[in-house]
Amino acid sequence: MLQIKELKKVFKSGDTNVLAVDDVSFSVSDGQFASIIGKSGSGKSTLLSLLGALDKPTSGHIMVGDKDITKLHDRALIKYRGRKIGYVFQSYNLVPNLTALENVMLPMEFAKVPKKQRIERAGKLLDQVGLKDDKQKRKPGRLSGGEQQRVAIARALANKPQLILADEPTGNLDSQTGKMIFDLLHDLAKTENTTILTVTHDLSIAGKTDVTFILSDGKLVKR
Amino acid sequence: MNVVTRGIRNAFRNTIRTFSIVLILGLIIGLSLAMLVAHQAVGQKISSVESSVGNTVSISPAGVRGFSGGGSPLTETQIAKVQKLAHVTSVDESLSDRLTTSNSNLVSAVDAGTLGQRFAGNSGQSFTPPPDAFGRSQSGGTTTFTPPVTVNGTTNPTNLSDTLGGGTFKLTSGNVFSSTSSDNVAVIGSSLATKNNLKVGSTFTAYSTNITVVGIFDAGNTFSNNQVVMPLKTVQTLSSQSGDITSATANIDSITNVDSATTAVKNALGSAADVTNAAAQAQTTIAPLKSIQTISLYSLLGAVVAGAVIILLTMVMIVRERRREIGVIKAIGASNIKIMIQFMTEAITLTLLGAVIGIGIGVVAGNPITKLLVTNSTNSSTLAGPGRFRRAFGGIGNSLSSVHGSVGWSIILYGLVGALVIAIIGSTLASYFIAKVRPAEVMRAE
Repeated sequence: MLQIKELKKVFKSGDTNVLAVDDVSFSVSDGQFASIIGKSGSGKSTLLSLLGALDKPTSGHIMVGDKDITKLHDRALIKYRGRKIGYVFQSYNLVPNLTALENVMLPMEFAKVPKKQRIERAGKLLDQVGLKDDKQKRKPGRLSGGEQQRVAIARALANKPQLILADEPTGNLDSQTGKMIFDLLHDLAKTENTTILTVTHDLSIAGKTDVTFILSDGKLVKR
Repeated sequence: MNVVTRGIRNAFRNTIRTFSIVLILGLIIGLSLAMLVAHQAVGQKISSVESSVGNTVSISPAGVRGFSGGGSPLTETQIAKVQKLAHVTSVDESLSDRLTTSNSNLVSAVDAGTLGQRFAGNSGQSFTPPPDAFGRSQSGGTTTFTPPVTVNGTTNPTNLSDTLGGGTFKLTSGNVFSSTSSDNVAVIGSSLATKNNLKVGSTFTAYSTNITVVGIFDAGNTFSNNQVVMPLKTVQTLSSQSGDITSATANIDSITNVDSATTAVKNALGSAADVTNAAAQAQTTIAPLKSIQTISLYSLLGAVVAGAVIILLTMVMIVRERRREIGVIKAIGASNIKIMIQFMTEAITLTLLGAVIGIGIGVVAGNPITKLLVTNSTNSSTLAGPGRFRRAFGGIGNSLSSVHGSVGWSIILYGLVGALVIAIIGSTLASYFIAKVRPAEVMRAE
């Protein structure tokens, strides 16, 4: 269970304070596929970075299971990010000089998974997302956008995270490939029993998720 | 793949940049090693010159140098004053004289030749050969010059190389006499012994007195091997120069006190003596080498700093380029330390590649650069000083340009350690920037 309670994030911009996330509270059950929609600048990505422990909130609580991640120290946060969270970014963010297989192995290396297991699981995950054989040995530059996003999804699943955070995962893809990627995320969430929270502009995609939150000027306006 | 492997692979991500940086670092490290080679080679030469000079002050009567010049001999009373000065541990005294054919049966082992004839003719404005100083072969009024045999009276028979005016000294047979001896004994040069068919135990005539040969030496040069060394008291008595000294060497307790002792001796003897010290002369001679040592040291430091700055700027540039990648890696669980190790490995890979090229350059260019620096510096220096010092240091001066620099294992080790230091220093700022990258920034860039 993911529970957000009275979450606030204030940024300083010159002399003024900008309230990027304003008193947001909601919860998502285990294995649910949730989406957050909102206009550009509404605070979607900021909210996602707080949930992913990439940034610290000004106040409020983020409960993942029974653990409040806002209370974790730096070292524990690194561990939490590496083992409990998977990220899928709009522009894939793969390491360019590593092969697809090596990119998927990377989070497992940081989580100290033995090398043999890393290779096996990375290969299996890439098979699952539809990237077979020689494509697994290709570097990102030699893969299409859709293929790169598949590698990113496999990387996000590498350490069997409790929560996958996806920031506009279909934003850089054509509609057909975007739909395929969404379906893939949806299927994997079910098979791996992982909670997925995605930010999107695409209402048709949001409509297919289990629950949708609408964010406006940092506030949760509708559920 | 681990962080180290990734760091090594990352070093080759941009081939052109890697090639350029490695080449520049190679040139810098090569220059550093060449300067280190020059610094070490010149340092060894300076040490060898300084250790060969010794802690001595030379005293001779004012205006006299060997058998040239004029003036009056020093007296034992004057030398006794020197003996009492602070830091003076002992004084070796000597009296030089020339044997004549009228008071000695020794035949010189050196032929006059053209130079001998010329020196005899140029030795005074209205030179008239003294009848006793020449072996005469008078026919038709001409005089044949024979170089005289020099006799040295000394109180330090154990260090005959000083008494003979330098050179290597080796006693080939017999023994030396004691420093306080007043016996009619002598140690003679090997050429003189051969020419006069003398052996240990043989006798010859000097000052119309029978002198017994107690030892024969080889000084390694023809001039010195034509000399006779006898106890000071004996020469003073036989030559009727009682109490006279023509040169003395004051031994000083430490090289650091040589200059102050020289001043004290000058003050004690006043205008009666010319006082010089070997250390001062040696310092003048090796001054150009010290300049090279300083230049090479600063060049070495400059090159190391330049290398560190280049790798530092390169790594900062690389970190800025890969800011998003660093953010992503942090987001998926990497710690700052792991990322820093990865970037440090990248910097070390670049500098070690540069070091390999640099060591090659150092091996090839080390000796030529050392020789070039030494030749340019020593050519512009002048060997000053009177005859005795020219004899003593002329060899050193000439051999200054024979400094040889080579790249040994220690230099290679210094090169590799230097490369590591450059890489580590160069990575520090990059590490700071890595630590400052917040994983949230990767989300903001989306």
